[in-house]
Amino acid sequence: MNFPIISPESNVVSVNVGGRIFQTTKQTLTLAGTDSLFSRLVTESSTRFVDRDPDLFSVLLYILRTGNLPARSRAFDVRDLIEESRYYGIESFLIDSLSNSSQFEAFDLRKSRILPLNGRDSPSTIAPTANGGGLHVAHGSKITSFDWSLRRKSTVVAAGATDFPGLQIIDLDNGGFVRTTLNWENVTSSTVQAIGSSSEFLFTSFESSRRNSNSIMVYDLSTLLPVSEIDHCEIYGADIDSAIPSTKLRWIQSCNLLMVSGSHSSPSGVSGHVRFWDVRSKNMVWEIKETQDCFSDVTVSDNLSTVFKVGVTSGEVFYTDLRSLGSKDPWICLGEEKKRSLNERRGVGCKIESYGNHVFCSKGSGIELWSEVITGLVGNASRDVLEERVFRKNSFAKLADSGENKITGLAFGGNRMFVIRKDQQCIEVWQSPSRGVSI
Amino acid sequence: MAPDDGERVKLNVGGEIFETNVSTIQSTSPDSLLAALTIPTSHGSIPVFIDRDPEIFAVILNLLRTGRLPANSSGVFSKQELLDEALYYGVESLLRSAMFPSPLLGIDASLVSTITPAADGVPSAFTATAGDASLWIAHGGQISVYDWSLSHSGTVRTHLNDITSICRVWAEAAAIGSESASGLHFYDLSGGRYVGSTHWTDPEDPRIHKARVAAVADSSGGVFASFDCLHRENSVLQIDKSTLQVAAVIGQQSGSSAKTSVPEKLRWVPTNGLLVGSAVQRGVFGCSGYIRIWDPRSRNIVWETSEPGSGRSSRFGDALADVDVDVEDSILYKVCSKSGDLGMADLRKLGEDPWVYVSDENPGAWKSDDGGGGGYSVVHCYRKQVWAARGGALEVWSSVKDNIRGDPIRRRNFVDKEEDSIRGMISKIEAGGDRMFVSREYMEGVEVWESCNFSSLVSVE
Repeated sequence: MNFPIISPESNVVSVNVGGRIFQTTKQTLTLAGTDSLFSRLVTESSTRFVDRDPDLFSVLLYILRTGNLPARSRAFDVRDLIEESRYYGIESFLIDSLSNSSQFEAFDLRKSRILPLNGRDSPSTIAPTANGGGLHVAHGSKITSFDWSLRRKSTVVAAGATDFPGLQIIDLDNGGFVRTTLNWENVTSSTVQAIGSSSEFLFTSFESSRRNSNSIMVYDLSTLLPVSEIDHCEIYGADIDSAIPSTKLRWIQSCNLLMVSGSHSSPSGVSGHVRFWDVRSKNMVWEIKETQDCFSDVTVSDNLSTVFKVGVTSGEVFYTDLRSLGSKDPWICLGEEKKRSLNERRGVGCKIESYGNHVFCSKGSGIELWSEVITGLVGNASRDVLEERVFRKNSFAKLADSGENKITGLAFGGNRMFVIRKDQQCIEVWQSPSRGVSI
Repeated sequence: MAPDDGERVKLNVGGEIFETNVSTIQSTSPDSLLAALTIPTSHGSIPVFIDRDPEIFAVILNLLRTGRLPANSSGVFSKQELLDEALYYGVESLLRSAMFPSPLLGIDASLVSTITPAADGVPSAFTATAGDASLWIAHGGQISVYDWSLSHSGTVRTHLNDITSICRVWAEAAAIGSESASGLHFYDLSGGRYVGSTHWTDPEDPRIHKARVAAVADSSGGVFASFDCLHRENSVLQIDKSTLQVAAVIGQQSGSSAKTSVPEKLRWVPTNGLLVGSAVQRGVFGCSGYIRIWDPRSRNIVWETSEPGSGRSSRFGDALADVDVDVEDSILYKVCSKSGDLGMADLRKLGEDPWVYVSDENPGAWKSDDGGGGGYSVVHCYRKQVWAARGGALEVWSSVKDNIRGDPIRRRNFVDKEEDSIRGMISKIEAGGDRMFVSREYMEGVEVWESCNFSSLVSVE
């Protein structure tokens, strides 16, 4: 076999993979990272024969050169590509070329795939994996995890949160054994109402089994040891407000604050709270008391530095700017603000989530996409819009979708949006038709 | 084998050796990567090494040799990766011309695809007339941009909820208007930014208030937009592109009758420096409307006609349905609402009755007594062919050179099939980059019609 002639001092490297000669530069190979097989090819001239499939190698080399997947990779199953990329130690490049959050085009999302779940339980909650757009789905007492390619899955048995005391930390990678169970100190058998995390901490909202006290525990994420306790409420008498446990915990990275929210529905209406906690000093920075048109769901967008809620009465989306915390009536309505009777319940079950620069709100079976109109005026052009910040709505509702079930959860990861619906034993995957190759 | 004593060059692409003539490589632009690599240097006999994929380079090299893509390449390589690779080697203009459709022939065009935006898919306005073959669709309150290869290159959400007119005013900027909100608004689509707005106001006339935009046309000297007040007072404004301020008010009128209603269509004719505006109202007794031509420098009306009322009496009851301008030949085309006949007028020789009517008794074409569906509605002119829509049906007028009489003979043919026409009323036709784009009322997406020199042979075995 003849290698094409190259000058000896050049940085061109010849590799023989399964009998086929590939040539590339040392720079391209070192891109792959120090612990990959590619970078070893640079240094050790003796290992420049690799006993693997040359066609798969050419696809991986293409990814290293351009960052994209070539169209001919459609001939392979993605599982083979994953296997091969693991062999060479460059799986992260494959993930990046297939499911990068920069490929997420909110305006161009289409329902592209369905992930069926086995068993009879419809999903109760979903959470994206730490990177790449995989998904954990809790359905019944099982957790099914899909990896970033959505091709591989693993299912473990786990106990639910609101009917079972304590927070279970489950090792999903190693067969799903319960590594530890975290309980609220001093109080036995308290149920978990919400979980949240930052890069350092794990936050858990507990409510005692007699439902007369609740608290948020802060754990160190690596050691799982309790660090502090915030937002502790004990109920004395008929003070309903303090009896509401927090059901959503969100870490706001840009402000180093924890947003906690909880609501309670009673015959006299829905009331709730949104609180912002400085975890280190254990101080409550701001509290929004929700008495009229309480939220049915609330979320925070770090990129827009804005908190969004859906009103349970009006069903409209409201926002408040994080930079103006502390104002009296913080919510600014994005829809039509009409006087509504307090008995209306248009926003019940609406979910709101933010991803990137966009906010997604589910209403019934449809999804609304809210995005900000950015202004950059030229010359002495006049500004035509009165509002301080302009958000506008798009709806994904198509005629074909109208007969579908109510949406019960939204999650985002990589370039995907995941949607679960009531009584459906599957997860919808929404993606934009990618400009590159999708497999 | 053709004798060729030209200088040859060897390239090592990813471990594979390619050999070609220097003249082949240098047919690309001189500052491309490939041209730079083939300059004889001290490499000696060792081929220049390029760290790219050899399989795609084989296609790129064939593109350089023959000027076209190998027929099987579309199945093996994606459009996007060919584009990326052509960009790397600096030959994207060659690839662009190889990937463009054949010259658009109305008599031989077929529906190749429908472009549907993901959300709010019913287009309310679109534009494709700018030179670079891209398509901008306004749908809902969004503008989606599709590049020359018709791949989606971005969507911008505007503050309007309903965009009913869109015009491209710079390479990356759009002027948009809405029938439900006042003003003409400018958006930079590459940055996704709102740039500014222009309103028609008059400090001496309080009636001029909340004027809405009905039509927009772009020219080198400014943007022309027709504004319509709630009291039907209307006017065409010339808007300076750098300051977005009103530079001139042209042809203000009361809007009290069909002859003075707001222009729904504006066309700028750069060769004569004229602005053509037209409006047609469709009622139970047929169409009535006008064509008016302004000289924007003097702000005077150069010529106008209104129908019914002027022209030959034999055309009674057969008023114009729509007007378009052949900008290259300076010909004004109108389509008669009832008969579907084509009226032509030379913009340089307009007079009392400049119209030359052509009718076609082509038995395959439209029969006037075919009933239902309404009259002709939309006409668009592209590459010396005139497209006309009647309800959901699409026809084209094309000309045949007649060497004996001198004048070209014009013939009318259907472009579409019967099953195409039942999809809905055609609301707008535009063409650009040898593609024709058609939108239909209440239909999602914009249809793309192209001509192709290859038959779609179907095997029935």
